[in-house]
Amino acid sequence: MSLVAEAFMNQLAAAEPWPENAALYQQLKEDQILLSDNASSLAVQAFLQMCNLPVRVVCRANAEYMSPSGKVPFIHVGNQVVSELGPIVQFVKAKGHSLSDGLDEVQKAEMKAYMELVNNMLLTAELYLQWCDDVTVEEITHPRYGSPYPWPLNRILAYQKQWEIRRKMKAIGWAGKSLEQVLEDVDQCCQALSQRLGTQPYFFNKQPTELDALVFGHLFTILTTQLTTDELSEKVKNYGNLTAFCRRIEQQYFEGHDKDNSGTAAPRSAKRSLLR
Amino acid sequence: MAAPMELSCWGGDWGLPSLHPESLTVMAYAKFSGAPLTVNTINNSWRTPKGDVPVLISEDIVISQPAKILNFLRKQKYNADYELSAKQGADTLAYIALLEEKLLPALLHTFWVEAENYCSVTKPWFASRIPFPLSLYLPGKMSREALNRILLTKGGPPLYSLSEVEAQIYRDAKECLNLLSKRLGTSQFFFGNTPTTLDAFVFGFLAPVYKVCFPRVQLQEHLKQLPNLCRFCDDILTCYFRLTVSGHSPSGQDTADANLQKLTQLVNKESNLIEKMDDNLRKSPQHPPRKLTTLKLAAGGEESPLNRLSP
Repeated sequence: MSLVAEAFMNQLAAAEPWPENAALYQQLKEDQILLSDNASSLAVQAFLQMCNLPVRVVCRANAEYMSPSGKVPFIHVGNQVVSELGPIVQFVKAKGHSLSDGLDEVQKAEMKAYMELVNNMLLTAELYLQWCDDVTVEEITHPRYGSPYPWPLNRILAYQKQWEIRRKMKAIGWAGKSLEQVLEDVDQCCQALSQRLGTQPYFFNKQPTELDALVFGHLFTILTTQLTTDELSEKVKNYGNLTAFCRRIEQQYFEGHDKDNSGTAAPRSAKRSLLR
Repeated sequence: MAAPMELSCWGGDWGLPSLHPESLTVMAYAKFSGAPLTVNTINNSWRTPKGDVPVLISEDIVISQPAKILNFLRKQKYNADYELSAKQGADTLAYIALLEEKLLPALLHTFWVEAENYCSVTKPWFASRIPFPLSLYLPGKMSREALNRILLTKGGPPLYSLSEVEAQIYRDAKECLNLLSKRLGTSQFFFGNTPTTLDAFVFGFLAPVYKVCFPRVQLQEHLKQLPNLCRFCDDILTCYFRLTVSGHSPSGQDTADANLQKLTQLVNKESNLIEKMDDNLRKSPQHPPRKLTTLKLAAGGEESPLNRLSP
């Protein structure tokens, strides 16, 4: 949005404190939501937990269409609706809560760079796996994506979304990649994250930041989602410090709130398996 | 290691070895790691490859994308990242992702989508280097691909018009430049005193923005306000590509020399003609023999009256 509109929104945001009835919307957990959307949603939930801001998760079949940017998750706070992690971080900052204030300029640059790395490689690899790998598309994605809708709408919506994602992959040059190459890229990304994390509890030592939330969202979802093959989760499991990192954040921020977040940590349908 | 390696890529202008960011990245990495590459710039002939550019050809192996080319060079033991720690290697990957996500859309827009820039600079330049009749089709195709990429990656709602998308991508690009400037600080390269892969990528993306003269230059103006990034580009150009900062390449010097040579030849011819005229005048009986014959370079007409006056 334009600079003026953004400044206006920030001013509106700063005017009110965080309400009790803030809601986060995503697709239906059991039947509909896909790997990449679940990862994004979990990242936002983790971020809000880290900021100590209460939010309840609401599952709607048409969450994608309600969202102002077409992407899930989005939060409904007061009378404003904000979607995707980047704008949500800015919105929360305008309300006075921030996780990255203690970082200096170089560290902030590094944090932004690593967040772009996760979006560029991990998220794109997840999208590729879901929409461009024929086996996964047939067995998992198409049935799940259109599940709330009757035939033929479910098939039409699934094909439309697939066409859109494939166009995007072609534009950024991922259409020519094979599954092995994509998995190799995921491995490279995980290696970079693992090396950056090292033996520290969080990426920027003592305090978690939005980068930790984003990485947790993606890695936890990859580790706990059953796909047609286990190759993706195997790539992540190779790095012990990353799995320990996920477990630590799960225990610290999600286990105390079973009522709200039981879906994310506990096993549900055949698609999910416990992180153990 | 002994196999000769050839790189095919777009040529350069305005003081750069190449205008294409990816070609520039590969060339810079080759210089940093000391890899012996012969660079073939794409010209008007039909022999040049038509696929992705840049392309590395080594014996029978053909590799096309920058990341793959760099991997290949590393496997051949031309490694510029030898002294980096594991964490610095991870940082490299992260910053390259940042460049691709935030800076590349604005770069593509400045070169290929912005109407004034495209029509007055980019299209003629590229069309002059592609053989006819491909030159009628290929620049347009590259422009459409660039616009497509920008719209598909950045153009979703809530941005509904191209001008809003443009505003957003330039804002992202300026923020990215600021972040890079903060990260570079006062050191010479991003990881100490020796250049690495990250320096090659940053140079590849920044140098075209910095040097190419476009009519619409908001990104260049922003870059010029970050002196450490400008110094970074200039340093690499002078140290590794042996080009002066003002942009005169050695080939530029040669043309200047050639012009000077031509001028000297002309002057010499003139003076020969004048000598002949002198001789003719000497042989004619009206004039006494001259004592001084030094005024050769002056125009022929002036000499005779002067000589009539001399004793």
